[in-house]
Amino acid sequence: MADPVIQLESVGLCYRLAKQRLGSLKEYFIHLVKGSLTYEKLWALRDVDLAVAAGEVVGVIGPNGAGKSTLAKVITGVLKPTLGSRRVAGVIAPILELTTGFDYELTGLENVYLNALLLGRSRREIDRQVDGIVRFSGLGDFINSPIRNYSSGMVARLGFSIATAWVPDVLILDEVLAVGDVRFLDRCQERLDAFRKAGTTTVLISHQPQMLLEYSTRCLWLDRGRVTADGEPAEVLGRYSAAMHGTASAMEPVVTE
Amino acid sequence: MKELYRYRDLIRMLVARDLKVRYRRSVIGFLWTMLQPLLTMVVLHLVFSSIFRFNVVNYPVYVLSGVLFWNFFNQTIVSSMNSLRQNAGILQKLPVPMAVFPVSTMLSGVINLVLAMVPLFAILVVTGHPMGPSLAFLPVAILIAATFTLGAGLLLSPLAVFFTDVVELVGVVMILLMYLTPIFYPLSIVRAHELFWVVRYNPIRSILEVFRDPIYLSKVPPLTHLSLAAGLAVAALIVGAVVFRRSSDRIPFFF
Repeated sequence: MADPVIQLESVGLCYRLAKQRLGSLKEYFIHLVKGSLTYEKLWALRDVDLAVAAGEVVGVIGPNGAGKSTLAKVITGVLKPTLGSRRVAGVIAPILELTTGFDYELTGLENVYLNALLLGRSRREIDRQVDGIVRFSGLGDFINSPIRNYSSGMVARLGFSIATAWVPDVLILDEVLAVGDVRFLDRCQERLDAFRKAGTTTVLISHQPQMLLEYSTRCLWLDRGRVTADGEPAEVLGRYSAAMHGTASAMEPVVTE
Repeated sequence: MKELYRYRDLIRMLVARDLKVRYRRSVIGFLWTMLQPLLTMVVLHLVFSSIFRFNVVNYPVYVLSGVLFWNFFNQTIVSSMNSLRQNAGILQKLPVPMAVFPVSTMLSGVINLVLAMVPLFAILVVTGHPMGPSLAFLPVAILIAATFTLGAGLLLSPLAVFFTDVVELVGVVMILLMYLTPIFYPLSIVRAHELFWVVRYNPIRSILEVFRDPIYLSKVPPLTHLSLAAGLAVAALIVGAVVFRRSSDRIPFFF
């Protein structure tokens, strides 16, 4: 196998939650002086090993609090793992939320620039793509009015159009295809298909087994921060559904001192 | 650094947006930037020339150049501290180099400073203040002030994320610093005071004088002052950059 595009090696990610409310310097010093500074450690991910080859579409499923979104953030590079290492080759298009980085006072067009710049594109690259982005969003003349006038579906459409305007090496989708009308959803799926044909490696996080079954070439089941299963989508999803409908897996996150 | 250069178009857009937001909703727009320090100058002039009665040659120029510097320093520090918190949503979802926010805050502060200098030049003309070639030194003075301020902003912006009351604490410290810096009083009136050394060794005084000398005294600051101010600015930037870099991994966990 060629070098993996995404490689996580025994990744652990720990949120350190102070037991006391520690929003302020004052409280911090009081607790520091009293020696009562204790933290709860919440391991959102533990011992996650993942090697994804170019062109794979990895579906990630798991109950709430399983660490799916944390995994997306680690792969994206927003959160640095507490333990282990992360390596991702190439340009990443993270779509963790379609409304991230929008300024509601600016027009749709200005937001195309702002958002694409936040994704690391240069002004010149955006100049070349802007017509295509506007066309794909289907917003028409609305593009010149401030997006505070948009419906949430319109904002999401614009977000998706911007984030997918360039073919990325790695695409990360976290529960974002639950927006927009059916027609737009069809076009989103066309675009994702085109990415797949172009060899984009995709991580698709969803609660809907049906969707993962349809799209992924491989499926990862996360539970309480650990990889419970990793393999054929049909098999993994079958086991997942059985487990969810049968004996309920503990949904609470694990807390250790 | 390389990352910041790669994101230069983003920084430019953030600066433009900042200026636009600042001026859009006010009736007189850009004029306000120029008017506010002028009005401050008028107030201080009335207070100090008629109530405290100390003699400073052409006090309006003295105080206005001080106020412009102080406004830049103070406003940039305050906005830098809020810059990461305001963009928490982005920093949690997109791998953007975090320093773009304090850097663009500082740059829009510099643009505001330059705009606010227009009425200063008008006052120079009106009061017949000598305008020499030393004014050509101002860009260097602004660069030193901007470097120092960026350093302070980089140092404080992660702290403001970790502890929300840092913003209020710094607000109080800034008031103290303002009185410890000869902005609206001449250095001579505090010389006899036992705490004079505090004012004398206040690093912000150094940075201020490098900015004010070319305007008020019509001379380029002596090399000793200049190298001290430049050294302080570079040191502040290094300390700020190191702290910022070391805390940036932890920042997304605090939102």
